[in-house]
Amino acid sequence: MAKLTGVLIGCGAIAREHLSVLADVEKIDVIAVCDISPARAEAAAERFGIARFYSGHRSLLADIRPDLVHITTPPSSHFPIATDCLAAGLNVFCEKPVTVRYEEFCALKKLAREKNCMLVENQQNRFHSSVRRIQELVRSGELGDVLEVQVCLSLNIMGAGSPYVDQNAPHFGMTLSGGVIGDFLPHIAYLAYMFTGKITDVHTGWAKFRSGSPLLADEFRGMLKGERCTAYVSFSGNAQPDGFLIRVAGTRMRVETNLFEPPRLIVKRARSGEPALGTLIDGIAESRQVLVGSVTGFLRKLGGTSSYDGLKEMILKTYSAIELREPQPIPLDEIDEVAQLVDRLASQELS
Amino acid sequence: MKVLISGAGGFLGRAVVACLLERGHSVRAIVRPSSQRPPWPDTVDVIRADLRVQEDLTSAFDGIDAVLHLAAATSGSEDTQFSSTVVATERFLEAMARSTVRRLLHVSSLVVYDWSKAESCMDEETPLENNPYTMGGYAIAKVWQERVVSRFAKEHSWDLTIARPGFIWGHDHADIAGMGRKFGRVYLLFGPLTRLPLSHVANCADCLVAAVENPAASGETFNIIDGDDIRVWRYAREYARRTGQRGFFLPVPYRVGLGVAQLAALTSRTLFGSKGKLPSLLTPRRFESQFKPIRFSNRRVRQVLNWKPRKSFDECLELSFPHVQYDGALRSFES
Repeated sequence: MAKLTGVLIGCGAIAREHLSVLADVEKIDVIAVCDISPARAEAAAERFGIARFYSGHRSLLADIRPDLVHITTPPSSHFPIATDCLAAGLNVFCEKPVTVRYEEFCALKKLAREKNCMLVENQQNRFHSSVRRIQELVRSGELGDVLEVQVCLSLNIMGAGSPYVDQNAPHFGMTLSGGVIGDFLPHIAYLAYMFTGKITDVHTGWAKFRSGSPLLADEFRGMLKGERCTAYVSFSGNAQPDGFLIRVAGTRMRVETNLFEPPRLIVKRARSGEPALGTLIDGIAESRQVLVGSVTGFLRKLGGTSSYDGLKEMILKTYSAIELREPQPIPLDEIDEVAQLVDRLASQELS
Repeated sequence: MKVLISGAGGFLGRAVVACLLERGHSVRAIVRPSSQRPPWPDTVDVIRADLRVQEDLTSAFDGIDAVLHLAAATSGSEDTQFSSTVVATERFLEAMARSTVRRLLHVSSLVVYDWSKAESCMDEETPLENNPYTMGGYAIAKVWQERVVSRFAKEHSWDLTIARPGFIWGHDHADIAGMGRKFGRVYLLFGPLTRLPLSHVANCADCLVAAVENPAASGETFNIIDGDDIRVWRYAREYARRTGQRGFFLPVPYRVGLGVAQLAALTSRTLFGSKGKLPSLLTPRRFESQFKPIRFSNRRVRQVLNWKPRKSFDECLELSFPHVQYDGALRSFES
């Protein structure tokens, strides 16, 4: 059976994660890479044993018709590159956010529909093993009715040497609504959306904790009302240590996880009987989770497993959908809903 | 001679500018926009630019006789180092290609060699590293930077000199990788009698300027080291004494350290296949590149440029630790 083929446009840090995933998959061949820096393109090709490399995406598209184009460039270049790919009738797997402005996303969506092509945004954390376990608890009814979800990301973007506050070479996130926080809003938005469903109301607060930085804001909070439940979302560029916390509260259970740590859930169930005994049982269960998660995480690190849990699953599902001629793994309308939410969250940034 | 120098605000760059001025050359210095202007005289023409993003650098080459390319990152993620070192070099040399300047001296590093193939002595004939991707971000970036420079020079028929310094050290930059690793109060010295390829920043700058001045350097590649007579034990002892650091030296024979790294690598391969990841100390090839007990030759630079280090090791120590008095620290292993 013929192998599926992919190409990457953009050979920076995130591209290396894609290439590492693809290098492990027998049925997929990466046949070319492209970067505006010829050396970076050639280095990626040499490192991953890829036959062809380009420094212009149009040259690549003129030579090759892959099954899927991975766009892993900075966000401001996504729109022109994705437009060229879709216009050529090629499926696109694009890093988040797909576009800097929502109107551009709409144009791409229209083009994808016209050309009958996939336009997939990388929403890898939907496929994170911990998130999938939470979803399973919701689906099975164990968690009860979902009342609230909290998605709280803390990342030290303000530290010395951080590329986010590099005053010599402004970070690509500075081109986004929401500044560099805008680079993280898609992750926050799609994780909240998974539980809330369509958003009906949004309230946000932006703040600048450190006055000396080039950023307009380094703290963000948001309250969302969705058709299924409410959500509290936040980003902190100052709170330490780093963490990506998801907490889902239901009528029977509260469950939380940290996506930056080895996959594990902390589960608190509503119990009848002696409260002290319940606390003991929960404590033992939690200790076991922490121990297993820590050992697993250490072994994963030694084993070179990507810290981007969920990326492999998402990429494989996309290729599989192409092979089986099935719908894309995340419906385009859902990607649209998330893009609209990101737009609403970012539109109230400090000015 | 009017010299354009990239990375002029860095540790080596500042020493090179001082040396150029001392020898009567005029200097155009590229420094990053956000960094402070070093205490240079007004005669130094300062251009504020970040080579990664500067739109057009062509005018920086106007009226220039020779270019000294020092810009590179020495820390940061693999991607950050590649951008700051390799992509920045591509942009810088694209601008040079639009100018009439033909003389280029590029500062590379000994990390571009394949240390596993260095037998008893490392010199300019030692094979280059062809698979740098397991060697860490700095090695990847420096290998690729040299490839880019060599290709540009060949394509545009430039007069290229490649200089590969060893461990560049000096004031506030004396903690070199070859010295070992500190864990709490214990300093592990891997191969205490191993020779260090040291290049004091003042001597290194002097050699680079000598190479710019001397037409015989065109087309040559030099390793720049002061000599290889200083061994790990002595350097570490001087470092600890002069910085007043407290702790214990624990000498570990090189073969023992390498054996542990090889055992760790074998275990990793057995358990995880080729994707296993280990810290640099437990990666045999990276361990070798920091601690391999070989000799280091500077014969070629001595022959072609008739150069020798201006300052002895003892003079360099005085320059590098000018105000620190021995306060009795480390007495535990001095006695």
